[in-house]
Amino acid sequence: MKILVVDDDEHILRLYKDELSDEGYEVVLAANGQEALDLFYKENPDLVTLDIRLPDIDGIQLLRQMKEKRPRLPIIMSTAYDYRDDFSIWASEAYIVKSSDLNELKSMIRKLLSKE
Amino acid sequence: MNTDQRPEDKTQEEVLRLYKEVSQTKEYLEGIIENSEDAIITSDLNGVITSWNKGAEKMYGFTSEEAIGRFLPFIPISLIDDEKESIERIKNGEVLKDIETIRQKSDGTIIDVSLTRSPIRDAAGKVVGISCISRDISEKKRVEIELIRRNQELSRLFFISSAMRGTLELNRLLRMVLTAVTMSDGLGFNRAILFLVDEDNNVLKGAMGVGPASPDEAGQIWEKLSVEKKTLFDIMRDIESGPLRKDSFFDRLSLGMEIPLSEETILTKTVKEKKPFNIQNVKEDPLSDAILTQQLGTRAYAVAPLISRDKVIGVIWVDNHFIDRRIGEEDMRFLSAFSNHVATAIESARLFEQVTLTEQELENIFESISDMVFFNTKDYVVKKINRAVSERLGNKPEEIVGKKCHEVFHGMNEPKPECPHHKTVMTRRAFVEELEEPFLGGTFISSSSPIFNSSGEFIGTVHVARDITEIKKLQEKLVLSERMAALGEVAAKVAHDIRNPLVSVGGFARRLEKKLDGNLKEYASIIVNETSRLESILSEILGFVRVGTLEKEKVNINGIVDDIVSLVKSELDERSITFVKEFAIPHEVFLDPNSIKDALFNILTNAVQAIGTNGTIFVKTYIREDAAVIEMKDTGKGISKEVLPFIFDPFFTTKGSGTGLGLTITHKIIERHNGRIEVESEVNRGSIFKVFLPLKRRSEE
Repeated sequence: MKILVVDDDEHILRLYKDELSDEGYEVVLAANGQEALDLFYKENPDLVTLDIRLPDIDGIQLLRQMKEKRPRLPIIMSTAYDYRDDFSIWASEAYIVKSSDLNELKSMIRKLLSKE
Repeated sequence: MNTDQRPEDKTQEEVLRLYKEVSQTKEYLEGIIENSEDAIITSDLNGVITSWNKGAEKMYGFTSEEAIGRFLPFIPISLIDDEKESIERIKNGEVLKDIETIRQKSDGTIIDVSLTRSPIRDAAGKVVGISCISRDISEKKRVEIELIRRNQELSRLFFISSAMRGTLELNRLLRMVLTAVTMSDGLGFNRAILFLVDEDNNVLKGAMGVGPASPDEAGQIWEKLSVEKKTLFDIMRDIESGPLRKDSFFDRLSLGMEIPLSEETILTKTVKEKKPFNIQNVKEDPLSDAILTQQLGTRAYAVAPLISRDKVIGVIWVDNHFIDRRIGEEDMRFLSAFSNHVATAIESARLFEQVTLTEQELENIFESISDMVFFNTKDYVVKKINRAVSERLGNKPEEIVGKKCHEVFHGMNEPKPECPHHKTVMTRRAFVEELEEPFLGGTFISSSSPIFNSSGEFIGTVHVARDITEIKKLQEKLVLSERMAALGEVAAKVAHDIRNPLVSVGGFARRLEKKLDGNLKEYASIIVNETSRLESILSEILGFVRVGTLEKEKVNINGIVDDIVSLVKSELDERSITFVKEFAIPHEVFLDPNSIKDALFNILTNAVQAIGTNGTIFVKTYIREDAAVIEMKDTGKGISKEVLPFIFDPFFTTKGSGTGLGLTITHKIIERHNGRIEVESEVNRGSIFKVFLPLKRRSEE
């Protein structure tokens, strides 16, 4: 199973990669919106975790573009800030506030991938 | 002449002297008779004229030659029998004194005369003839008749104005006035219009018109009146107490009339110069109002001002359109007198109407004020309340008025110390308080002002209370959201900038913790715990709420459906969409009402859009096994088999508008309630959405 992790913080990318790899997933990393879209097409991931605040393309925009291409692709919005007022968040499968404890994220990923 | 006279001569002299004297007297008398203004006539016992003086000639028009030898030529034929009877009475010696009767002149005209007739006796006292002194009393008669007419007029005026003084309803009064003007035993005009001065707009405005619209209608009305034999009194009474009938075409015509007072016309002159006008021929009068000649076709008319307290408040207009009788001096005098009488009554009625209207207006305002307004007496008794009070208390006005205010508003047996009414009663001063009233379950801004009667005695208070419970809540929300907004941008940056490093620090510490032993493991776990603590502090400060957190409560699903339908009610009407509902017995389900409303609203909106215009939406609620089901069926264009599997996908839309998230959101909300959605659809027939919500509470979430 391939997971695309999108975040503009290099340490977080590293943490996610190590943690999720330990879980047995193949992890690809993108540090901005453009990279994320490129990898989305090139790598054809089974799941995406999307940071909302990105330097170039907004995470919500990415969500939209990805869902338009692949409506059934599970996407988890992962953010440092609460975006609950944005309607489009509803297009994602899950929404999680970033935490140093990744257990919640991991169980969410397990659940979403087992549905496929 | 011989002076030495004999006795016989003396006698003769005496006779001569007497004769002379008699002759002189006779001549004198004849002169009197001849020159008298009175007609002095003698006749024989058969009524044949024997003498005829100049007065008779002048009065009756016959010369003495024509009269003498004829049987009384001036007796109208109808009176000949009476005359014969009179002659018989005089023959018997009677004197008929000051008999008023009529006589006919040679040219046939009738004159009023007063007669004194006496028998003429010869030396033996035998009646041999009749003398008749007649005096022309036509003028006197005329004055007398005039006097009677004036009397009648005055009594009629008196009657009309006293009838009117009892009427304060303006419309009734105006109709009485105009009826009096047009009734034959009133002023007797054919048509009448009452104009009133509208000071605000500086115009003379038609207020009412009475009169037939056509000669035919005139005929019918007059016939009806003569058959019913109603007097002016009867009709006045009918108007005073009967239903007020809106009149005729003519009335409506009159109501539409408006003459600017800036124009120079007869009507406006009547107002400005405060005097009546009698226009005998409109064609010869350049100032006649075009509106009158064109719309009413009047050829001659009269107007009189209505003057009350030195001010012209209106004008009465009259004409005799159907009988074409000239309006004379008499008519004008009567019209003016009448106008003077009724003006005051009209002014009073007008003022009364204004006062009544103002009172009604005030009452309406009082009733419709959304704040609670009420009067309390100084003894704490509720005297008068507006609708807002009875609505807020949920009681009928009669259940509130008359009770003690502290019972009604505070549920207390004694006055509430902080109540502004109580304070006003104690101090006679006005108070405004913000009060939380647990009895009414709300917060109120309540003001109380003292009321004093005309003699300055304190009688109670007027109370205005505004329910600010909602405002209070909104204010609190606003304060919160303002604080959030102020925090917002900074918070987002801070959160991003602090949380991200915290996540890395804590995340890597966790990895280390797993790999290390002893003291080092302990150090790592200290880092883990401390970063967790920092993260939770951060979340707390920013007031994070997880997206999609449900706030569940027990809710009746039927009520929810009603709520969302009421949101689209006007759109349903606009699009001619019929709404049919079939509700199961109310069933309470444990759910988050706001998100379920969102979910159902999206389905309903889709149904409306699928129909476009003209169609039906059926909504059913029922219980199926362990779930409450909300079924929405529409007669819209339906969803094809190819599209159906994708309708819940995000950004999937066939509408070309909208976010494409509606049904996705619906799906998610239902999923979070552990429910499910089933869809059946057929192209061109419509769709059925069934939302299943589990009745049993699950422990998870």
